Amino acid sequence: MRETITRDMVANPKTHYGDAKAATRHFMTQRITGLINIVFLGFLLFIIVRLGGQDRADMVGVIGNPLIGLPFAALIAIVAVHMRNGMRDTLEDYVHGRMFSLAMLLNTLFCLLVAVAAIGAIAKLVFWG
Amino acid sequence: MAELTLRKADQPQKGKTWPKPEGATRLREFHIYRYDPDKNENPRIDTYFVDLNDCGPMILDALLYVKNKVDPTLTLRRSCREGICGSCSMNINGLNTLACTKGMDDSSGPVKIYPLPHMPVVKDLVPDLTTFYAQHRAIEPWLKTTSPTPQKEWTQSVEDRSKLDGLYECILCACCSTSCPSYWWNGEKYLGPAALLQAYRWLIDSRDETTTERLDNLEDPFKLYRCHTIMNCTKVCPKGLNPAKAIAQIKKMMVERKAA
Repeated sequence: MRETITRDMVANPKTHYGDAKAATRHFMTQRITGLINIVFLGFLLFIIVRLGGQDRADMVGVIGNPLIGLPFAALIAIVAVHMRNGMRDTLEDYVHGRMFSLAMLLNTLFCLLVAVAAIGAIAKLVFWG
Repeated sequence: MAELTLRKADQPQKGKTWPKPEGATRLREFHIYRYDPDKNENPRIDTYFVDLNDCGPMILDALLYVKNKVDPTLTLRRSCREGICGSCSMNINGLNTLACTKGMDDSSGPVKIYPLPHMPVVKDLVPDLTTFYAQHRAIEPWLKTTSPTPQKEWTQSVEDRSKLDGLYECILCACCSTSCPSYWWNGEKYLGPAALLQAYRWLIDSRDETTTERLDNLEDPFKLYRCHTIMNCTKVCPKGLNPAKAIAQIKKMMVERKAA
């Protein structure tokens, strides 16, 4: 028989529902994506310096290369996850109740929008030049 | 939403300046927070002068001088006067500490004394620590076992016992928790550094057999993870303990459990 998930059950950290059990997962995700972002920053700076003084065709040539463009897109997704989690932490600190749900919705939409726009731009360069 | 400013009715105003003691040659000025919930008035900051030739060297000595010789209505908690009981914790010159172990010669100029920050005030320098004590109770600070009780006491090795050093000395003065901005904003849901230090003290105790259950109780976005490593707790602890490190160790135990 399927159990009924109640509000109390979600709030109870001993159950497997809701944010309660996800707390350590959020913490780990934040630290792991943060670590990857440090490496990503080096990669990004390398690309920027390498493209210094070159024209658009060179830029398309570098980022349009799937070996560079695809990892770039993956890293942007990781940045978006890190951004959402970081803002979530701040919202949890300062915003409570229904305002928190609204703020989290906007936070998720914003991060999704940034990720989709950036990955879409890279996909265009990789597949269509 | 977090409250970043005091309501108008809570903002302290300039209070009374009490007369200087007659014939005193060495005086020290004290600005002390006063609030009486029975009077429908804003809190005020009263100014007192203490005769250093007639008073001990600690801030608590000065407060008792004021209470005994100047203004008997001044209310404060104190007991052991040697940093063991944690009763006289208050905010002195912007830092939470114990009045009994804080020397007057540690600072120059007027001494500013407030109750522990961001707590409801019962009267003057006495904060309401009901929630703080409830949080300590919530971590179940006692030995929990599932094995049959031994004939004599529960024993542990010297090495295991040494793991409790830097943890068992906590006197629950609340200086750390009330200096933590995360505790200010979410004091009812975040357990705070003092309770978490105690939680770690029982998690690391080799005799305790309910580590999983204890970790389950802390697995929550607010109870544990509101700690953002601000380190105010470690900076102010009058016993020189490191609650921030204890919290980091709990997070490490959580991650290791999840990754296992």
